[in-house]
Amino acid sequence: MKVEEIKETKEIYHYWDLSAMKWRIESEGLALLMEGFKEKKVLGRQCHKCGTVYVPGPTYCRKCHIDIYRIVEVKDEGTIGTFTVNLADIRGNPLEEISIVVCVKLDGSDSWLMGRLEGWTDWREIKAGMRVKVEWSDKPKGTLSDLLNFKLIK
Amino acid sequence: MRRNVAIISVGYNGRFVSKRPDISIVEMLEAAVRNALSKTKLKPHEIDAFVVGNMHTFEGVNMGHLWASEHIFALNKPVMRIATGGTTGMSVFHCAYYHVASGLYDVVCAIGWEKHDEGDAQIGLGGILLPEVFSLAHFGPDFSGRRGAGLGLMGGGGGSTGGASFQAASYLAKSGGGIEHIDMAAALMRANAAKNPYAHLQVPDCKPEDIAKTPIISWPLRYGHTCPTSCGACAVIIVAEEKVKKYAETEKVAWVKGVACGTSDVTVGNVHDGQITDPADQEMCKIVAMKAYKKAGIKNPRKEIQVAEVYDGFAHQVLLWPERLLLVDDGASPKLIEQGYYNIDGELPVNPSGGVTSTNAIGASALVRVAEAALQVMGIAEGGHQVPKKVKNALAHGWGGLFQFNTVTILGDTPVKK
Amino acid sequence: MKRRVAIVGYKLIKNTKASVWTRERIYYELSRALLEELEITRDKVDTFIFGSNDFADGRTISECYLIQRIGAHMKDESKVEQEALNACVYAWMRIQSGEYDTAMIGMVSLASSQFKPLLVQNHVLDPVYERPRGLINYYSAAAFQARAYMERFKNFTESHIARYAEKGYRNALKNQYSLQVIPPSLEKIENSEPIYLPIRELEVAPYADGGGVVLLASEEKAKKLTKKPVWIDGFASIEDTYWIGERDLVKLDGLREAGKRAYKMAGIKNPEKEISFAEIQTFFASEEPIIAEALGLFDEGSGAEVIEKGLSEINGKLPVNPSGGSFGGNPMGGTSLLGLINAVKQLRGEADDFQVKNPKRALVHAQDGVCAQQNTVMILSTGGEK
Repeated sequence: MKVEEIKETKEIYHYWDLSAMKWRIESEGLALLMEGFKEKKVLGRQCHKCGTVYVPGPTYCRKCHIDIYRIVEVKDEGTIGTFTVNLADIRGNPLEEISIVVCVKLDGSDSWLMGRLEGWTDWREIKAGMRVKVEWSDKPKGTLSDLLNFKLIK
Repeated sequence: MRRNVAIISVGYNGRFVSKRPDISIVEMLEAAVRNALSKTKLKPHEIDAFVVGNMHTFEGVNMGHLWASEHIFALNKPVMRIATGGTTGMSVFHCAYYHVASGLYDVVCAIGWEKHDEGDAQIGLGGILLPEVFSLAHFGPDFSGRRGAGLGLMGGGGGSTGGASFQAASYLAKSGGGIEHIDMAAALMRANAAKNPYAHLQVPDCKPEDIAKTPIISWPLRYGHTCPTSCGACAVIIVAEEKVKKYAETEKVAWVKGVACGTSDVTVGNVHDGQITDPADQEMCKIVAMKAYKKAGIKNPRKEIQVAEVYDGFAHQVLLWPERLLLVDDGASPKLIEQGYYNIDGELPVNPSGGVTSTNAIGASALVRVAEAALQVMGIAEGGHQVPKKVKNALAHGWGGLFQFNTVTILGDTPVKK
Repeated sequence: MKRRVAIVGYKLIKNTKASVWTRERIYYELSRALLEELEITRDKVDTFIFGSNDFADGRTISECYLIQRIGAHMKDESKVEQEALNACVYAWMRIQSGEYDTAMIGMVSLASSQFKPLLVQNHVLDPVYERPRGLINYYSAAAFQARAYMERFKNFTESHIARYAEKGYRNALKNQYSLQVIPPSLEKIENSEPIYLPIRELEVAPYADGGGVVLLASEEKAKKLTKKPVWIDGFASIEDTYWIGERDLVKLDGLREAGKRAYKMAGIKNPEKEISFAEIQTFFASEEPIIAEALGLFDEGSGAEVIEKGLSEINGKLPVNPSGGSFGGNPMGGTSLLGLINAVKQLRGEADDFQVKNPKRALVHAQDGVCAQQNTVMILSTGGEK
């Protein structure tokens, strides 16, 4: 039978309970970061061999492939490395509120942190290299929400 | 001693489209393999081994090659499955290459495919980062509020286009280009696709103004800069040097001169281990390109490569990859695309097939880059997207994972001397 | 074959019911431990190949964050999404091509991360016919196969299946890296809950969390890295038809062919005599005699005789799964790598309590798909032969 002769194909719907998952995480990097957030500090780990500062800081250095332990504090001020402006959803419908997400390299860190940018007026003026400062929550509890956003330093 | 390997034929199951409700996955594969076989002197039983790949979590069939054993003529033959995310297609090709280069087999068929309409691509794509996103829940981000959310955005930052918009913004800052250059790149891709009968989004004579009409999703990426989800399969048949005369239908074959791959830092959602790389840097791409050029015996890629098929999941990568593949200077692309340097009839045609921006069947896309580069070397690209100049060497590039995986293949019209 | 390729080192973790370590941690520790033992750093490893399954891992592109952990940062890496033994085959090809000298293979599979691991495996079934029909799953297909063997060879009974399971648990207890389940008595296995007769609950290999890494090297490098290289003499992989009804589930023609080709590549004429022991991959106790006979290790239909006379025991004529095989724990999609590691241990004389006497050549087997649709067979040796 040729493919062209098939006039009608059937659609088969089938629901399979694929399976729920349980993941395990250590996330020593985020745990340290949260500890620091309680004191309004940004903590990471530094590799004693190559000097790279990771924030969040895992307990191993991916370049040297060794365990690292040195805890360092980086400033809560930094530079915008890159950014994006959320204007519409994936279909193209404009969003109610325009938001800017930035990747920031805090002073002293080799890693980039992502967060929302505040303190701007015209998104077209935002450029890489601008300076920002962390805006902390008044009562930090050691959660990700303690870091409210990155505020543009005028 | 090196064993030379040639691509003798390339096959598609048909045009890449968004839905194929009329065929199943295995029928799609069969069509692609038959198409590839029909352009050779091979009988199906003469293929020694198969290498297959797709992202099977998107389709809901665990290891689809098991179901497809007769459909792809793989009964009683070795079948190996490779899956590496976006670069799956080229990793599949590299595996097939090593099957032959190792001396173990003489004729191998590489198949890459994706049938998005069978499953839910959003679940599959979300599955890449889902554990990281959920693990953040342990650390109390503000997922609900518009204000703040702070680090909680790490899991899904960058709106709907994910990390690509960060890469694009960083690239524009480094190169001095603007969103208009990405519009030009997208228009070029859609217009090229109209000259490729197998491409998905074909827009004849597409102009940058047409692209600029589409809304910006996450600056600087517009709706018109993103790739579609396509369904389709691609099969490539490779043969060892000694058997080329016996099995190739014509003298036109594409020799595999060098392959290389590498992985660097994950730059999206690296919430646990920290992100230490700018996604637009792509150091690894340069290293991988140099490795491939060395293996291919290419000393001056800018003069010796006539056409490049790069993996442009988003249109700005049409500008990014030629620079990172050392084909043009860093930061040169915006000016070059203005001058028409990357056009099909330009100095360095980039993605004459329309690229991934016009056709993205994830498991197949990187293999299609190799297939299209091979068609260019062989001089048989259909529909008007064959570049007018003589192609001595072509470059195919694949990229994927979470922005860290790069693969490069160099094809040529003559084999590397031993 | 231009270059000989050898396995120069391995590291594995003990199988557990639910690992307290994360996948990331396991890869990091295993890789570090192996590199330290061989006294090299990660820059001496030319390529890394993972053997893991996205479905089993529960996430797409599952090796994304594991690349940094295993030491492949800024290096060459790929992933084979089949039984992990195929990753070894791919690594062999890469080294054989002359472009690489060393390769590391990694497998970590945590079955406990799935609430229903069997359903993940059942996704191998096609969505158009078998799944909606709902008559076949991994267990019921194995039951068909066991029943077919019992019909063809009438002296093989349900109690023999239990005996193969008992041997598996008993051997696994001696293997300190297995789950070390306290072996249930033969009576307990025979009376355990029926799943699909003749398969009973305790005749199914238990799921586990496990992992291992292996380093391969070309001949010149192997001799520098270790005094006890284990050579890969031959291998073959064959895929049979997907449709259960079209295969002879007892003869397993695809596996037979794979065995023949592997023996040919390794220069083996008489496997019964030349193979010292075999690590074959079984999910069900009933598969062991069927697979072993298809590989030519024992006469056809000798399943009952072999287990009654103890021919496949550790001190028997041709030990099969001296490590306990999957009865020491089945990390989904990766059991064959543990089989490979256990075979390497044996050939190097490092298998402690489950050591086979004077082994020279080993057979390692991996299967994929329902009822061993696809099989990979590999022959290893100490190098004394050839």
